[in-house]
Amino acid sequence: MFSLKTLLTLLVLLVLSPLFGVFLAEELGYHEPLDLVAEELRLNESEFTWTPLKEYTVPGLPDWLGYIVCGVLGVLIIILAGFVMKTMIRR
Amino acid sequence: MHIPDGYLSPAVAGTTLLLTLGVLLIAIRKISSEKDSLNEKIPLFTALSAGIFVAQMIAWPIPGGTSLHLIGGALVGILVGPWLGVLSMTLVLSVQCLVFHDGGLTAIGANILNMGIMGVLTSYVVFRTVYRFTKKVWLGSFLAGWFSLTIAGLTCGIELGASWNSSLPVYVMTSWHAILGLIEGLITSSVVSYLTLKSPGVVRWS
Repeated sequence: MFSLKTLLTLLVLLVLSPLFGVFLAEELGYHEPLDLVAEELRLNESEFTWTPLKEYTVPGLPDWLGYIVCGVLGVLIIILAGFVMKTMIRR
Repeated sequence: MHIPDGYLSPAVAGTTLLLTLGVLLIAIRKISSEKDSLNEKIPLFTALSAGIFVAQMIAWPIPGGTSLHLIGGALVGILVGPWLGVLSMTLVLSVQCLVFHDGGLTAIGANILNMGIMGVLTSYVVFRTVYRFTKKVWLGSFLAGWFSLTIAGLTCGIELGASWNSSLPVYVMTSWHAILGLIEGLITSSVVSYLTLKSPGVVRWS
């Protein structure tokens, strides 16, 4: 589907991703502009959830490892979708 | 910018879902009519979708307590074309929402509309217009990247504002994203300029 170089680049980024998505997020407590709006308007997020992998965590795994596992899973699902599209086009 | 459940009124959530489904139908029709060139674009489509998914997991801290990650709408639109770009962002946003609860189920229409439709289609028009008049890829892709984040912030702000009868979300979301959009523009411009030099055949408009 795509080159080994692309896959390796994605893998390196995935391994590094907890540094930004988990450790720095916890250390610095930073937020997105949407959080500022929610704070001002006092909006509350619904508690309802439909997946055990909420916010890129895996039950039983430390957050940093769960983040990487979720990243790999997400990439695999997207690659599978690409294969499905390619197969459908060939037909 | 992924809106969770509980932030939008049912009317806004329903309207944005219908609009999104309508545009996705148009996108699928447009793409189906280009079947020959589509086969060649699927590897790049897949690589970009996977790359955007990973890039969105890497949030950079910005001085002042906020954070930024690449959205990628302008990037994918410029590189594979606007309609396939819409599908790429829809795929990424759907995986994020359905598998990882990043963004709410009731807000999936709004999130795709903001980042996957507005962020791709409008920035593509910006890129084509700037490129047509200046022939400068870096400038067109920079402005497209900036515009994609700003327009996504504006649309998100309008949806939140309409849900809670307040103009505050429009100002906050647009102003913040207009500033953060400069970084989206820089990343978009760097990647598009690099690919244009390295593999000019890969970009749709060249």
